Amino acid sequence: MKTILLVEDEFGIATVLGSILEEEGYHVLVAANGQQALSRLAEAPAVPDLVVTDYMMPLLDGVGLARALRDEAAWQNIPIVMMSALPEAAVRQEFDDYRAFLRKPFSIPAFLHRVTTILEEEQTDAPAAPSAPET
Amino acid sequence: MDDRQGMELERVPSGIAGLDTVLRGGFLKGGVYIIQGVPGAGKTILANQMCFNHVAAGGRAAYVTLLAESHSRMLQHLRPMRFFDETVIPDRLYYISGFGTLEDDGLKGLRDLLQREIRKHRASLLILDGLVAAQETAASDREFKKFIHEVQMYAAMNDCTVLLLTSGNPGPVRAEHTMVDGLVDLDDRVYEVRTERSLQVRKFRGSGSLRGRHPFRITGDGLVIYPRIEAQFAVPSHLEQPVGAQVATGVEGLDRIVGGGTFAGTTTVLMGPTGIGKTNIGIHFLSRSSAAEPGLHFGFYETPARLRMKAAALGMDLEGLEAQGALEILWQAQGENVLDELAHTMLDAIRRRGVRRLFVDGLDGFMESSVHPERMSRFFSTLSNELRGLGVTAFFTWETRDLIGAPLQAPIYGVSALVENMIVLRYVEVEARTRRLLAVAKLRDSGFDPALQEFRITDKGVEIIGPFNGYEGMLKGYARSSDNPGLPGSFSSKRPSR
Repeated sequence: MKTILLVEDEFGIATVLGSILEEEGYHVLVAANGQQALSRLAEAPAVPDLVVTDYMMPLLDGVGLARALRDEAAWQNIPIVMMSALPEAAVRQEFDDYRAFLRKPFSIPAFLHRVTTILEEEQTDAPAAPSAPET
Repeated sequence: MDDRQGMELERVPSGIAGLDTVLRGGFLKGGVYIIQGVPGAGKTILANQMCFNHVAAGGRAAYVTLLAESHSRMLQHLRPMRFFDETVIPDRLYYISGFGTLEDDGLKGLRDLLQREIRKHRASLLILDGLVAAQETAASDREFKKFIHEVQMYAAMNDCTVLLLTSGNPGPVRAEHTMVDGLVDLDDRVYEVRTERSLQVRKFRGSGSLRGRHPFRITGDGLVIYPRIEAQFAVPSHLEQPVGAQVATGVEGLDRIVGGGTFAGTTTVLMGPTGIGKTNIGIHFLSRSSAAEPGLHFGFYETPARLRMKAAALGMDLEGLEAQGALEILWQAQGENVLDELAHTMLDAIRRRGVRRLFVDGLDGFMESSVHPERMSRFFSTLSNELRGLGVTAFFTWETRDLIGAPLQAPIYGVSALVENMIVLRYVEVEARTRRLLAVAKLRDSGFDPALQEFRITDKGVEIIGPFNGYEGMLKGYARSSDNPGLPGSFSSKRPSR
């Protein structure tokens, strides 16, 4: 089961997106800001497959979180989806090392399409697992 | 030297039209204010508008929501408004939700978050949208008051002005109201079938404010507040001008009757039924507009195009005067107007061009716009004083309802105290024909010819024919020969002298 870390300070949005991802069969970790997200990552038994984060949040924003991930060897390859009510240009001038951008408000199908596409691409790009030795 | 000089508290203007007038300059720097109103009253727009205005003036702002509209929805709704400027987000205006923190860490966590956000974004304005969610989290009134108090202390020490938005009907005093520096109610009430929004400052520590309710609209510019005329101009903005020269009405015969014209800075009411010639007299008056005496037509009935045509038919070129800048025609569609908005629109136009000749067609348009008819006497009294202070010579029309015969009634209680001059126009039945009558009922500080005058409207406009001689009872609408006063309906065949 793929794990997604969802970072969103708006309670309603976090709840809706979290439940939709769970319905799609993902394991979801939820954090209300960047700082809480780093704690969740530190506590998590495995590295998540995807981080979906809001841009403007208290304590540590989406860009702060993304930079922290890129600085940490264990997390630097996690693909990031950035979400914001602002145009992408406003975010990109601060930080552009993310896989996809979703401008709020967005539709659930568009959100799921983006998430599944990225995870499928990751699956394809990942080195093939060694086949089990014949017995 | 006044010891109080330099002790004025520093203000943070809202930049919202009319609100800073009501607040006498804006909120106080570092103060905490509750903005309260029913859902849809305009709290969120007011707070966002102030944020964008504050940022445009060089400040920084943080907008923290609890259980409120999502930021993306909020920004989507704000985007069409002219104050909205996406480029200032997130560098100078930052939106975050504090609800998760409130859920996890309670009021203490929320207080810490607000303090951190003020510090981190160097915010000089902080909005907390959804105070009711914080209140519901508090275990007691005491805990909630403590939270407000801590926010207040931190805001004051950081020169950060805080607006706390909360839903609720204007009404009883609640615990938090006693703590904050000010309380502003936004209301949206139904009057018969129409609604009117209003704003009231119920508490404002450290400063006076314009008391009472002030109507407002939500427009493409955000909130526009129209301070109640009686409150804003309780004392006229200018001292009354000494009685000046006479200002010609433009109707030659009328000027003769009133000794050359009405005095500058006075207000005249023209009363009469529809079609009698009130607007025509106004056109005469405005046709004398010039660079030295700019004119303003403020009307509810004829559109500018129709008014120009009407004037042209009487041989007067209003269009030419407009082209020269000597005249402005401001037409107000008779939809659902707001009384104070009309008055401010008119006063703004007067100040903008230094208007000296004002013709308002008519008083009815103002009265029909009012949701509080009991205001009218004080409203007109204050408006007349302000016009006098501005040195405006004004003519207002008032349409009486009945064409012929009914007793005349003053439009407003105590009208005599409100206006200096009153001219009555009537149709009179004489020998089975209607004729037009003009009577000067009142002319302050001046003598006038008291004779009832007959007038007619020709292709040159209003023409005073002369006194109605040989009749009486004309002000009742039915002329009776003075030769046979006891015989109603017995008319002399004698024509009035011309």
